[in-house]
Amino acid sequence: MASGRNWNWFHRMGSPRWFYETTGRWLPWLWVLTLGLMLIGLVWGLAFAPQDAKQGNSFRIIYLHVPASFLALAGYYLMAIAGAIGLIWKMKLSYMVMKSAAPIGAALTFIALFTGAVWGKPTWGTYWVWDARITSMLILLFLYLGVLALQYAFHSQETGNKASAILALVGTVNIPIIYKSVDWWYTLHQPATIKFTSAPSMHPDMFQPLLVMIVAMYSFYALALILHTRTEILRRERKAGWVRELAQRAQPAEVRQ
Amino acid sequence: MKPQFDTLQQLWHMAGHGPYVWTAVLVSLAVLGWLLIRPVQQQRANLQAIVRQAQREELQQAASTQQAEGGK
Amino acid sequence: MIASSQGFAGYLRRDLLLAYRRRGEVASPLIFFVLVSTLIPLGISPDSARLAELAPGMIWVMALLATLLSTESLFASDYQDGSLEQLLISPQLLPLPVLGKILAHWLVTGLPLTMVSPLIGLMLSLPAAGLMPMMASLALGTACLSLLGAVGAALTVSLRKGGLLLSVLVIPLYMPVIIFGSAAVQAAIDGLNWLGPLAVLGAMLSAAAALCPLAIAGALRLVSNN
Repeated sequence: MASGRNWNWFHRMGSPRWFYETTGRWLPWLWVLTLGLMLIGLVWGLAFAPQDAKQGNSFRIIYLHVPASFLALAGYYLMAIAGAIGLIWKMKLSYMVMKSAAPIGAALTFIALFTGAVWGKPTWGTYWVWDARITSMLILLFLYLGVLALQYAFHSQETGNKASAILALVGTVNIPIIYKSVDWWYTLHQPATIKFTSAPSMHPDMFQPLLVMIVAMYSFYALALILHTRTEILRRERKAGWVRELAQRAQPAEVRQ
Repeated sequence: MKPQFDTLQQLWHMAGHGPYVWTAVLVSLAVLGWLLIRPVQQQRANLQAIVRQAQREELQQAASTQQAEGGK
Repeated sequence: MIASSQGFAGYLRRDLLLAYRRRGEVASPLIFFVLVSTLIPLGISPDSARLAELAPGMIWVMALLATLLSTESLFASDYQDGSLEQLLISPQLLPLPVLGKILAHWLVTGLPLTMVSPLIGLMLSLPAAGLMPMMASLALGTACLSLLGAVGAALTVSLRKGGLLLSVLVIPLYMPVIIFGSAAVQAAIDGLNWLGPLAVLGAMLSAAAALCPLAIAGALRLVSNN
């Protein structure tokens, strides 16, 4: 089809069956990696890393707050890219990935906000502060909720997917604008209080477990995304022959009468 | 790198910040756990439903071929 | 060249005419704007000093909500009577007539809001230095809001209870506009440079005018193929 270039590999990747079978092989390793890294990172951060000079032990919340924030934002871009690929190449699998990324990202944004709020109480004496980072996170949550709402608003699955993809792309263009605006807005009104702990000024003993947790969270995201996408594949392709065979192999004779 | 707390009791208490840290940790882990467990459960349900549907169709097919043969 | 009922100018004229015929309906966002500005002193305080502090932000919030109210009907009547289909099969590049419709929408909602804002400013004790910047920021800002809102309207036009979903989709996109809009007014009141935030608003408007019609065209094609 294309001028001499072989795009077969790309279109093969778009096959739900290929995705299902390939990720099936990766899953056990991903489970081990995710749970392992999470355990190491959390134990290290909660019990072995030194506490912060000013904030004391409440500082340890950072080991969940920062990784969740990273992935919440990265996840939105991933969702939008999956949507774009679906729109451009009309790839079903891409839409399935986009659909799976939405609740995961929204949940991570919630974690970021919740941990941020809980962290705020001992640090600034209040659960909510309209600082730039938290405000941007809140807006990101709204963007996720919009994509989720739009997906389920239409009768036709396909229309819902395409509409969500368009919205996700519009949101993507707006995210840098929103973040910069909120940043600017906050510096305009900045009260003479504490700034959010900034990573660069962190001691290596505190930074290393954070790094582990960030990698752990990436691994978690990959695992969650693959699990959700596989569920979606099985649901949508349930009439296909390969799915039937697969199900019958997976369900032992006890299910049959 | 040494443990920052001498006893589990101290780890739980975290010099007064315990409720904050552990609330944050437990809620986060609960959400993360849900994100992993839900698809696993759904997948199991999916597979069962697919097998049941296949069986139903087999029975229907068997019934309709019987009918066709009986009607001759 | 191009039939007068099509294209940018064609749809601009058509929508203005339609708006004129429904002018009662079309005036409601404006009336909303004025009515709600009575709620502010009732809800907060009649004290001039307090009102003056809150005025730039509050006027902006009310203008934003009034615009949001009017956005739902942007494509609704066309969708219902089938003229949206006509729009889609017309030979033009879809973004152009879309831009015409949005300009008509702004002329009928955003512009009146802008013209009335000095009156509202007076009622809410907005300092005199803020009046001109208020009009300027609203002029540019409401145009942005019309464009951004149209994206949401296009995505939800085929849904029955689209209104609430429209708000959810569009308000996050509105936020940078209100940040810079009210900041411009506040800066003028404080004696600082207000042309800076205004320039940012202008930049946002240019970007929105260039990009939103594309997204809207995509969305309209999508929901009409239902």
